[in-house]
Amino acid sequence: MSVAEYVAERRLTTGVAVVALLAIVGGILLDVPGAELVTVGAIQRALQAAVPIALAAIGGLYAEKSGVFNIGLEGFMIFGALVAAATAWGASGAESITQGDLWVGLVGATIVCGLLSVCFALLTIRYKADQIVTGLAVWFIGLGFGPFTATVIWGGVSSPTIPNINNVVVPVLADVPVLGRLLFDASPLLLVTLVVTVVAWVVLFRTRYGYWVQAAGENPEALDTAGVDVNRVRYATVVFSGTMAGLGGAALSIGFGSGFTGTGVTMVDGRGWIAIVAYLFGNYNPIGAFLASLLFGAMDMLQIQLQTVGISLPGSITGLFPYVAVLVVLVLVGYTRVPSAVGEAYETEEK
Amino acid sequence: MIRATVIERFAIAVASTLLALLIGAVIVGASGYDAVGFVYALVYGAAGNISNIAFTLRQSTMLILTGVAVAVAFRAGVFNIGVQGQFIVGGFATVLTVLALAPVLPGGIVGGVILMLLGTIAAIAVGGAYAALPGLMKAYSGANEVITTIMLNFIASGVVYFIIDAYLRPAGTSAPNTESLPEYVSLPGFAFGSSSFSVIGLAIALLAAVAVYVVMDRTRIGYDLVTSGHQQSAATYSGVDSKRTIVTTMTFSGMVAGLAGAMFAVMILGYYSDPNTFPTFGFDAIAVSLLAANNPLGVIPAGLLFGGLDAGGQYIGFTLDVPAELVDGVIGLIVLFVAAPELFRMSARRLGLGGDEQ
Repeated sequence: MSVAEYVAERRLTTGVAVVALLAIVGGILLDVPGAELVTVGAIQRALQAAVPIALAAIGGLYAEKSGVFNIGLEGFMIFGALVAAATAWGASGAESITQGDLWVGLVGATIVCGLLSVCFALLTIRYKADQIVTGLAVWFIGLGFGPFTATVIWGGVSSPTIPNINNVVVPVLADVPVLGRLLFDASPLLLVTLVVTVVAWVVLFRTRYGYWVQAAGENPEALDTAGVDVNRVRYATVVFSGTMAGLGGAALSIGFGSGFTGTGVTMVDGRGWIAIVAYLFGNYNPIGAFLASLLFGAMDMLQIQLQTVGISLPGSITGLFPYVAVLVVLVLVGYTRVPSAVGEAYETEEK
Repeated sequence: MIRATVIERFAIAVASTLLALLIGAVIVGASGYDAVGFVYALVYGAAGNISNIAFTLRQSTMLILTGVAVAVAFRAGVFNIGVQGQFIVGGFATVLTVLALAPVLPGGIVGGVILMLLGTIAAIAVGGAYAALPGLMKAYSGANEVITTIMLNFIASGVVYFIIDAYLRPAGTSAPNTESLPEYVSLPGFAFGSSSFSVIGLAIALLAAVAVYVVMDRTRIGYDLVTSGHQQSAATYSGVDSKRTIVTTMTFSGMVAGLAGAMFAVMILGYYSDPNTFPTFGFDAIAVSLLAANNPLGVIPAGLLFGGLDAGGQYIGFTLDVPAELVDGVIGLIVLFVAAPELFRMSARRLGLGGDEQ
């Protein structure tokens, strides 16, 4: 086994070790009280920040495993964030928004993003459009039509303030120290993400359908010969990826945020791109992708933590940590064994 | 896309644009606005009077330059989505160079020309260097350039904003702007009388497009770049180092993006401010390049078209109550349709319009 392959196998371990080492060195140089940085509150915030990234990452991972590189995750997240806010606002009749309306918003976002990803799937699978260019188009369309739709609905590129989805509190268990606060008094979206992560892992590596997904990306001819419709598998995973990215966007606007923000690069702010890196980093393993998202989530929340221990770096600089981390990660473990049939449209022989 | 003939590409480009505009107009109508008024305002805003034409040409100048930058990379099979970032750091280098050297050089026309030349050289160098980074990452550690260049865009805006805000803001001002460039560092307006458009700028953009076309089409370096993009194994057999080619391609592309930055700083802005507020020329350029089938000469008409769309869109934003963001969405639709030539081939075959040769 060559060094490159070994590193690729152990990419998550290697990556975490390197980031931890950098953090320790940085911590010593800046004289950071390490213990005060890692608090239950900090972990809670990191988990929340990880949710949108992890959902999009797991969806994107399935699509790419089956042979379609869904580079439009960022665009689907923008639509998810917008549709969730708009649906919740519409369901309440523009009055005071209730918890029920927010749940309608979540469902609306997943349905609309599911339908949009059907279009993406048709273009890339049926009409053999270039996957990268089509994905970029999805991003541009999100950046344009997202704020446009917001303006049509609310008269400005951002929505009015919209409340969050309440935490689910499990009685008794919520009183368990640390874990209680993290898991049993948590946003339902975090719980959904954890379930999605575990189920995605089980399905991909322990069921026949998971092998179909992997075969569709690795060796579509063999899967076709075995009598499974390759493109049907690909349609399913692409729609799953769009739906999950939509849910991730909804988590941003109504799960943890306070409505849709359409200024600049919108409130999604590159998280869809980071999601792609998260699953590459996690070596196409849903659990790895979740842990990588957690790492980026923690990075995202670092500024608050540094402030609480009295180190104030300008927000414009700490805000760049996740992007820099992505570059460091890609340079260190950039080599990924991409499924061999990614990017190629598959056409069955028999017709 | 590569297999398509020139006529087919042209037809796809025209059909994509018309279809995207049609969908845009339908969306305008469906949102309860006046669709006919929208189309009229789009055209009037792009070419209705001399100052609107000047604005269109100004946007076209930028889109041709950034479009050529994108085309150089795409031609060679590398996705440079980082033109926006390279354009931002390039323009910043120009402003820093001019502001630093202005006190030690003579004023007037001579000083202005020297400062603009030095500022442009700085922009080209810095833009090229910033683009070399993702090239090196792709060549030597296999990092996907689509993602690294996008991350570098975010980093470029963030860092440039930070430096301006923390160190370059004149004392007592609250906006994150640098000091203005000296009066004499500017391009003359000539016939259009516009302070932010110059025929010289457009000429430079056209020259750059032709020069890049000649390099890509008529020289050994260009030939190697294009072959390694389309026929990597053939290029390797003929002795082309594919890793070095990737870095060269990105650097070349970034140099053109840097030139665009210099043009933006000198011709349009006259100072530098928060890059997050800049127009997204580097992203729209992707659409320009795709519409031109990544041909540097094709970028010229595509750049003019998008310049018109952009100017028309902004005019709409000022005069109608239709949100200007719509035009960005239409640009996304154009990219989407250009990416799916098969969509048009199939519908053409179904309608019996050619395409029978298969």
